[in-house]
Amino acid sequence: MTLSESINAAEQRRPSRFGRMFEDRLPYLIVAPAILILLLVGLFPLIYSLIVSFQRITMTENDTSFVGLLNYAELFRDTRLWASLGHTAIITAIALPLELLIGFLMAQLFIDRMPGRQIFVALLVLPTVISPIVAGATWRLMFDVRFGPIGQILSFFAGEPVRILWTVNPSYVYPAIIICEVWQWSPFMFLLLLAALSNVDQSQLEAAEIDGASYLRVLRAIVLPAIAPVIAVACLIRGLDLVRIFDIIWALTEGGPGSMTETISLYTYVQGFSQFETSYTAAISFLVIALLTVITTLVLKRMELAR
Amino acid sequence: MKFRTFLSAAAVLALTGAAAPAADRDAADTAVEAAKKYAGTTISIVWEAGLQSLDPLNYSGPQWEKLTGIKVKVVEVPTDQMFTKIMQDFKSGAGAYDALNVIPSWMPDLARAGALEPLDKYVDKFGYRDELQDIAAAYRDNQMQYDGKIYGFPDDGDVMLLYYRKDIFEDPKMKDEFKAKFGYELAPPKDWKQFDEIGQFITDKMAPKVYGAGFFRTAPYPQYMFQERFRMEGGKFFNADTMKATVNGDVGLKVFKQMVAENKFMPPGVEQWNFVDNLAAFLQGTTAMTISWPPYGRWAAGYGSGEEALKWVPKSQVAGKVGYALTPLGRPELGVGFDLSVSATSKNKEAAYLFIQWLNSKKTSLARVQLPYTLRDPFRLSHYASEKYRALWPDAAAYLDTIKTSGEKGLLDLSLLQQDKYDEAMTKAISSLWAGEDPKAILDRMAQQFDAITEKVGIDNQKAVYKVWAAKPGAYPQ
Repeated sequence: MTLSESINAAEQRRPSRFGRMFEDRLPYLIVAPAILILLLVGLFPLIYSLIVSFQRITMTENDTSFVGLLNYAELFRDTRLWASLGHTAIITAIALPLELLIGFLMAQLFIDRMPGRQIFVALLVLPTVISPIVAGATWRLMFDVRFGPIGQILSFFAGEPVRILWTVNPSYVYPAIIICEVWQWSPFMFLLLLAALSNVDQSQLEAAEIDGASYLRVLRAIVLPAIAPVIAVACLIRGLDLVRIFDIIWALTEGGPGSMTETISLYTYVQGFSQFETSYTAAISFLVIALLTVITTLVLKRMELAR
Repeated sequence: MKFRTFLSAAAVLALTGAAAPAADRDAADTAVEAAKKYAGTTISIVWEAGLQSLDPLNYSGPQWEKLTGIKVKVVEVPTDQMFTKIMQDFKSGAGAYDALNVIPSWMPDLARAGALEPLDKYVDKFGYRDELQDIAAAYRDNQMQYDGKIYGFPDDGDVMLLYYRKDIFEDPKMKDEFKAKFGYELAPPKDWKQFDEIGQFITDKMAPKVYGAGFFRTAPYPQYMFQERFRMEGGKFFNADTMKATVNGDVGLKVFKQMVAENKFMPPGVEQWNFVDNLAAFLQGTTAMTISWPPYGRWAAGYGSGEEALKWVPKSQVAGKVGYALTPLGRPELGVGFDLSVSATSKNKEAAYLFIQWLNSKKTSLARVQLPYTLRDPFRLSHYASEKYRALWPDAAAYLDTIKTSGEKGLLDLSLLQQDKYDEAMTKAISSLWAGEDPKAILDRMAQQFDAITEKVGIDNQKAVYKVWAAKPGAYPQ
């Protein structure tokens, strides 16, 4: 075969214009069904909820007319909504640093090899695999004023009956929620930080030790900068979880006494599924989405993780 | 005999003769006969999850299938989700439910929305009107209709009773000491002042072994107690002209202060007690008085103690020692209750109707209210008079008589449009009360919430519904 014949044969084998178009777009066609499904299950409800938030839909009325921004205007007058956001902020602001600190201390404790380390780690992680509603119900029993072990232990040390109404007394409801929350989720921080600490450059640590650097200096100058990205991600994940906190509080206090421990998730649930304010609930959801987006973006920027 | 007279006599004879079998046939039999044409179909019924649903699951459902060939699918739903599920089914038009259990205070919302099928035409078609007259007036006249139409058959005689320990109240030493101190006999309290004095007296004498009283204090139970006490002390929920809430006046304050003060002679931690905590304390003999629904009385007597489903109920230590009385001031709350209704979106409306007629009929309901493991309470005059029921345990007759009187004098739950929201405001207020917040501040907040709800529903709409409710004999003490 001559060169010109070979070129002609190659040109004949080359796909037609339609074939080339098909080849170019094949990757898109392959992922299209998945994207379509994602759009259907993700974007469609979001858009639909947005539309609903401009309507007047309640479970008990048949009027579903559009009311413009009325539901959003109502948000600003709803003191219970802002109070619930405040309660969420309090719980997040206290529980998150505590979980981080306890998780970090536990990770420090377990960073060195020791006998039975794997068993201890597995046991410590157990609370995180329990359903939060079960954790809340368990702690409710632990806090029970008559049969709960916590009261009995406190009574033993006090030498007289100690009767604390953990889920009723305003002075104790937040500590009760935070104890339960920290108990369940500190091991999550522990796991992430243990993995991060295990990857800190050993040569740097050895060099610092040879140079006679103190523990705090090593921690501040080497360890913390090395694990900072993991801390940031862990805080972000747990922070978002804490903003959504529902189950533990539902099991412990149901948002009470009164509305004292009602978080934004509880309030949204009550509006949507107890008071049947469908459109208003959609508006609350979009407020929360907007707030979370702003906060997350700011945090990511601050931590220089957005890049 | 003239020919015309003969013809008349023959006609009367023929008619009475022909009618005799029909007259013998009661509403249960009528429903069964009419339902046989639907043999092979399946109907679904929404029922409260837990003990309540053991009735259709273990007893009435299988029996209905045996009699008619119609299968019954029981959809168990927790109480706090029943309204939502019913409305969701209606709004979506899915028609997943045929028959429903409906709490009477929901009826205005469900009927207005169109979720319930009006039952009058079926009642007439299947001759059920006569047997409806046997339902105690408190339930029949107040919990069956909305806007002049029947939307449900009252099927549960819920009412609050006062239970007290006869052995303590009849103890000669206690009686003498009590009379010497207070100047009247130790007996079931006639008013809340007496209740407080008796409760404190027993606690002073017998605690920590026995406390004067115990109540359930966690949501949603105490709001029924508040509704009763508030009205019995002269309170009105709203100004009927303006629909402004009036719960935060002197009466509300008095009741709230009394309720908090009573916790002091009750067992420590009573603020955390739910239905089961309170039941356990009374059955174990830790409290001398309590107020609750009728099942407490049956279980305290040990009725049904061998049942597998009742294993969670603590074994009664007070069987034979429990007396039954009206709650203080004598007009107990007809708290909650259940109606049997037909879903407006059902595809088997007539079959569903026939099932609820059969369930609710004199004959079937008498058997159902005696099932030890369910929570259906007597609600028909024939239930109260049933010789069989009155012999179920030694004090059963006194129990039924007290339920009957309580029902006759009972006060209705507040029932307005979007009643759930008013209930939630009351529940939250009472939980703040246990937390030690200032009662006046709580009541003012509750009144504000009531006003906000009313405004949102529409003052005129709500005023019309309130007017109808307030005109009922059981709404306010006359």
